[in-house]
Amino acid sequence: MNSGDRFDRAIGYVLITGVVISLLVEAIGILLYYLSYRHFNISEERALFIHGRNFFDFVIELLHGGTMGKKAVFLMSLGVVILVLTPYVRVLMSVLYFAWEKNTKYILITLFVLVLLTISLAVQ
Amino acid sequence: MLNMVSLFLISIPVGFLGALTGLGGASILVPLLVLLGIPVKEAIASCMVAIIATSSGSASSYARKGITNVKVAFYLEMFTTVGAIMGATITTLIAPVYLYFFFAGFLLTSFLKSGEEVKDDWATPEYQDKLSRWLDLHGSYFDEAKRNLIEYKVQSALLGGLGMLIAGLAAGMLGIGAGAFKVTVQESILKLPPKVSSTTSNFIIGMTALAGTSVYFFSGLLNLTLMAPMVVGTTLGAVAGGRVLNKLGNRTLRILFYAIVVFLIAQMLYKGVTSI
Repeated sequence: MNSGDRFDRAIGYVLITGVVISLLVEAIGILLYYLSYRHFNISEERALFIHGRNFFDFVIELLHGGTMGKKAVFLMSLGVVILVLTPYVRVLMSVLYFAWEKNTKYILITLFVLVLLTISLAVQ
Repeated sequence: MLNMVSLFLISIPVGFLGALTGLGGASILVPLLVLLGIPVKEAIASCMVAIIATSSGSASSYARKGITNVKVAFYLEMFTTVGAIMGATITTLIAPVYLYFFFAGFLLTSFLKSGEEVKDDWATPEYQDKLSRWLDLHGSYFDEAKRNLIEYKVQSALLGGLGMLIAGLAAGMLGIGAGAFKVTVQESILKLPPKVSSTTSNFIIGMTALAGTSVYFFSGLLNLTLMAPMVVGTTLGAVAGGRVLNKLGNRTLRILFYAIVVFLIAQMLYKGVTSI
């Protein structure tokens, strides 16, 4: 198996791992939501919307427990964060892979997407 | 009354039908959520997040099998991510009523693909333009049905990129994958083999959805109680849909596809007209 095939496989495993973990976390979040609120209603409460300054701040706040008091909301937010990070990690890996291959064209192409996404996640 | 359990239960068949017909779960779910009284922008933002899960889930197995052309995917992602960020930004700014009409209008493009008969006589182009050659976009994959290695070239990389900019714009704006449109661009402009085209499009959709989500994340439109059951339900449904895909006849699929698209267009137009 050449390095390209191995790279394809590695990407495949990153994607499936991210999705499976995210879905499990979301499912546990929904159950905890029921256990703490005793209903499954879709809420229009502001606390149940994602809010904050930008994605990276949000993650740091989430990890510190910050404004997210309830575990259910924490887990549902965490599930989304893992989901968002899944393709993000995929681009990051691609930049590193092409750097290792010394393929300048594709370092630039993947770096473009990585920088664009980082900026878009970091500003509001 | 829509709650998380009913939304979860609705999302499973939606993900299933989306994968089965090639429409994608979100194209069905956005109009359905609107029908159930969810504000259209919230529906769009939540579906954008759900797409990351459904697309990455199915892209995973194709990437491991080596059918996806990752170079083509990386190249086209430059265009779709820019488009998606622009599209999502537009959605956060404009009045909701426009979105109903844009949505209905874009659904019409899904007829582009299904109008053609399924072609089995695909042949790789002889000629490869400078840019496509410079980008090393050509590739090969092992075709399980034909039991041999298929090598192919790619054409018109620049025009294909521009097509993908439009696909990304629509995807980000409407909270959908725009898979049918992407496949059409890849097959008719870039001349990718059908199998490579559909799996590569799936791969790109996840990244495009991330770009759209990056805009929606703090727009105050992402409702966790809406997103959580949708993400889980559509992904489970899509996995199941992907598994029975090859067991259904083309005719059955075609009728199902038309029925769903016509219903969705009618629903969005109705909503648009009544909210003017």
